[in-house]
Amino acid sequence: MNKTQRVSPVVLKGTPAKTKNINNWEIVMEYEGEGDGPYLIDLTHKQRFDLQDSNLAGQNPFQMTIPEMPGNSLLDKGILINRMNNTQASIYNFGETAVAMPDDSGFTDVTEATLFVALVGKNIFSICEKLTTLDFMDPEKKAPFLFQGPFSHVPCQIVTLSKDIDNPGLVITCSRGYGRDMIHAVLGAGKEFGLKPAGEEKFNDFIKNL
Amino acid sequence: MALTITCPVCGKRNGYEFKYGGEEKGPRPEEKDLDPRAWCDYVHMNKCVAGVQEEWWFHKDGCGSWFTILRDTTTNLEIEKKEAQNDEQV
Repeated sequence: MNKTQRVSPVVLKGTPAKTKNINNWEIVMEYEGEGDGPYLIDLTHKQRFDLQDSNLAGQNPFQMTIPEMPGNSLLDKGILINRMNNTQASIYNFGETAVAMPDDSGFTDVTEATLFVALVGKNIFSICEKLTTLDFMDPEKKAPFLFQGPFSHVPCQIVTLSKDIDNPGLVITCSRGYGRDMIHAVLGAGKEFGLKPAGEEKFNDFIKNL
Repeated sequence: MALTITCPVCGKRNGYEFKYGGEEKGPRPEEKDLDPRAWCDYVHMNKCVAGVQEEWWFHKDGCGSWFTILRDTTTNLEIEKKEAQNDEQV
């Protein structure tokens, strides 16, 4: 066997209507009968990097400035940078094409060590309220912003991308090993709101409309 | 009473997100000429204050920071540092 196979820890029940193989990930672009939201979307194949440096101000990954305050995020041209603490930031690539990790010893590619899902559409914050005490509607927080905290009792990074009532959305990442139970908990909490799995096209549309 | 703790990075959060790290005991003693009893006292002996004490906490479910707060052990409530200073002056 000489072909790399990448497998997401997220398994969503649904019949794929359109799939695509990107960089050895088998990705569902669309499911049958996705409905009109809210949606749970597996983004585990999207690149994620961790950056640690005692002088983060001196780093400009992807020609972007890392936010100064922990908890603040910056989204530009499909790249999201989240300031975690004094010495650490996380970087997500929402773009449809892969980018090369910057050539610096402070960067680590954590794509295959973590799961990555998005919640998009109406009532997503009501679903989140059942799983965490974190306050996504805090009026002092302007999207995009990062929470580091428990979601369904699992330490996660949660980035709220939009609080807009017509187009809300957030992404969640945590250790890969929690994949099955995390999805079970989110789908269980979202059942009363009609939460359904959706393909990546729904997320791409969401990002384009931000 | 539910304990809330203010993390310097994440802000005020539910106490269940944190792990207790013990009383603040000042800097580690110099190892030179340190007798075992003094070391043992530093490591194991606590003041167990009934009132406000400074203590270490770890944000295990959040940002992973170690930091100190002031907590009133009789009410299990975090005390703001300014508030504690005012109490000392009275």
